Amino acid sequence: MIRTSSIFCFRNALRLCKPNNMVTGVRAMPRSTLLTNFTGRASFSSSRISYHGDLHRPRPGEELHVTFILKDGTQKKYEVCEGDTLLDIAQGHNLDMEGACGGSCACSTCHVIVDPEYYDALPEPDDDENDMLDLAYGLTETSRLGCQIKMTKDIDGIRVALPAMTRNVKSNDFN
Amino acid sequence: MELHSLSKVFVRSVSDNVARRRVSVIGSGPSGFYTAYHLLSKSTVPLHVTIWEKLLVPFGLSRYGVAPDHPEVKNCEDTFSKCANTFSGSDHKHKFEFVGGVEIGKQIKLSELLAQEDAVILSYGCSGDRKLGIDGESTAKGVFSSRTFVNWYNGHPYFAHDPYLTEFDWTKVRNVGIIGNGNVALDLTRLLVSNKIGSIWNPTDISLIALNCLRSAPIKNVKIIARRDFVHSKFTNKELRELWELERYGIRGKIDPEFFNETMCDTSKINDRVFKRRVEMCAEYLKPFDKRTKKNYKKYVPPAIDESEVITWELDYLKSPLKVNVDEHGKIESLNLCKNKTTKDSKLVKTQDEVTYEMDLLITSLGYEGKPLEEFKDLGIKFDGDHMANINGRVQDIHGVIFPKLYASGWIRRGSQGVIASTMQGAFDVADIVMQDISHETKTTETTREIDLSGIKHTTWSDWQKINKSELEAGVRQSKTRVKYLDDAEILQFLASNKS
Repeated sequence: MIRTSSIFCFRNALRLCKPNNMVTGVRAMPRSTLLTNFTGRASFSSSRISYHGDLHRPRPGEELHVTFILKDGTQKKYEVCEGDTLLDIAQGHNLDMEGACGGSCACSTCHVIVDPEYYDALPEPDDDENDMLDLAYGLTETSRLGCQIKMTKDIDGIRVALPAMTRNVKSNDFN
Repeated sequence: MELHSLSKVFVRSVSDNVARRRVSVIGSGPSGFYTAYHLLSKSTVPLHVTIWEKLLVPFGLSRYGVAPDHPEVKNCEDTFSKCANTFSGSDHKHKFEFVGGVEIGKQIKLSELLAQEDAVILSYGCSGDRKLGIDGESTAKGVFSSRTFVNWYNGHPYFAHDPYLTEFDWTKVRNVGIIGNGNVALDLTRLLVSNKIGSIWNPTDISLIALNCLRSAPIKNVKIIARRDFVHSKFTNKELRELWELERYGIRGKIDPEFFNETMCDTSKINDRVFKRRVEMCAEYLKPFDKRTKKNYKKYVPPAIDESEVITWELDYLKSPLKVNVDEHGKIESLNLCKNKTTKDSKLVKTQDEVTYEMDLLITSLGYEGKPLEEFKDLGIKFDGDHMANINGRVQDIHGVIFPKLYASGWIRRGSQGVIASTMQGAFDVADIVMQDISHETKTTETTREIDLSGIKHTTWSDWQKINKSELEAGVRQSKTRVKYLDDAEILQFLASNKS
C-alpha cells in the first residue's frame, strides 16, 4: 500500500486553503426534516445545521471547537458539544462525510486525517478501528475514523482533513 | 406574508412541472443504490431515477450476501431507505422510483430503456460462480459454490428451499473444505464452526431452515485451502481476528508451521501495515494463552474443554484441488489435491506431490462471476470475460468506442471484489460521470416519456416498506433483528392481503 506521510497530506490540504471561513452556526434553526442531507448545497446556506439525531447543541460557555478541512481546501470551523463524534458533527453540518455503517466502526468511509499536533491527544485506536483503517484509501500515520473520535476538552481545537484522495493512491498521483 | 405564501405556491408548481432527465439504474444492491443516492444528492439538474430490481425486494448483496452476524454492515440500507423515502414523494425537484420483480431483458428490454432514458446504469452485480473445473465439482452431492451456500443461509427466495441443500444429510458432516481465501471463505468458516452458539446466531436474520440443518452437523474441522501462500491471503484482518476470537468458545485456529512460523515473518522487516498486523495477530494467537505478550490477545480465557469437544479451523496453503471422490451414492467422501510451490523466480507451480483429505462437504469460494445480458450481443455492447468493458464507468461497444448513455457500476463494472465502502466510492465516481455527461447534453431523447408498467406485475417502494415492517415485526416476536420471507409466493400473498 502506498502510504502518504500525514504531515505532507495535511500541509498539502492547508496550502489549498482560502482564508479561514469561520462558521459558528450556533444560532441556526434546528431542522427536523431529513431533507437536509439531500438538498444540493448550492441552495442552502452553510449555517443550517440539523440538530436531529446524534448532534447536540453545546451549552453556552461549554463549547468545544473543531475545524474540518474539506477536499477543496476550504476550512470549516464549528462550535460543538463534548461527546459528539466527528462523524455526527460533519454530517450534522452537511459536510461530505459518509458513514456507510452508521458509525459502528464497520467500514472506513468516515476516514479523516488528524493534524499531527492533535493526534497524540487522542486515545489510541483499538484493534477494531485499526482493522477498518487497514482498508481506508490514502491511509496516513495520523489517520483515524471520524465515528470513533469523541469531542473532549483534551482535543479542543482539533483540526482534521477529509482525505483528498478518494480512491486507491497510485504513484502517478504524486506527479 | 402574502408574498411568502405566493412564492411557496410557485415553488410547488415548479417542482410538479419540472422536466426531469430520466436515469435508470439496473440493480438495487449497494452499487445501484449508492449510485442513485449520489445522483439524487448532488445533481443540480432535476432527475427521475428509477431503480429496477429482478427480485421483489431491494438491497441485493446487502440483504443476501453480507453475513447475518455482521448486521452493522447492512446499515447502508438506512442511507438507501432515507433517500428513497425522501424522493418518492412529490414535493422535490428529483423523483425516485423503485420497480421490483422486473428483470431487464425479460419484461422490459434494455433497448427500450436506452431509447426512453437519458442514462442507463448497469449495477446488477455478478450472478454466476467461478469454477475450479475439476471432476466431481458439478456432479457430486455435498459440493456447493459459495454463492449458492450464502444465498441459502441468507434466505434468498430462489435458494432458501433448494433441495440439494435442505435434503442433504447434514448429520454426517464432520470434515469441511473451503477452496478460497477471501472474506467470504472466512464468513463461511465462522458460520460452520460457531452456528451452535445461540448468543451469536439466534438474534440474527439467518434463514432458520439453514441454521437448523447446520446445527445437526457434527462439524469437527474446517480447512480453508489456498492455492498460494500466507502472504497472499486476500481476506482482511477484521474477519481473521473474529475467527481467532472464537477460541473463547473452544474453537481453535491452526496454521501448519510449514506455512507460518514467527521466524519466517520478522515484523521488524515488514513495511506493509496490513501484513504486519496480520503476522503479529497470528503469532500471538498461535501461542498458548499464558505465553502471549500483548493484552489485546488475552481478552477472554479459552475454556478448559475436552479435546474431543474442540472444533478446529485451519488455514491451509499451497494446494490446488484435482478431483472430488464420491461414495456409492455419489456423495463426496474425499478430495485429491496437489501441492504447489514457488520457484526461484517467484512463479507458482504445481508439483507431483499429492494429498487426499477426507471430506464430507466442499464449498468453492472463488468469487462470483458476472454474466452478460442477452441483448448485449445484438446491441454490440462489449463484455470482457466476467465484467463490462468500460472506461471510467462508461460502457464500451465491441469496437472499443463509448456506447452512448450506458454506464456500469459495482461488481459488474470491475469484477467481484471489494467491500461496501469501495463499492460506494466507485458508485459515486460513476454517478459523477453520468452527471457530467447529462449536463453536456443539450437536448433530451426524442421520446422521453415514462416506461409503461401498466401490464407488468411489479412491487413498489411502498410495497417494500410494508414487507420490511412485517419482517421487522416478526423479528420482534421471535427476538431476532428480522425474520425474512423465504419465498416470493408468501410475499405476494402478504401484499395482496395488505392492499391499503
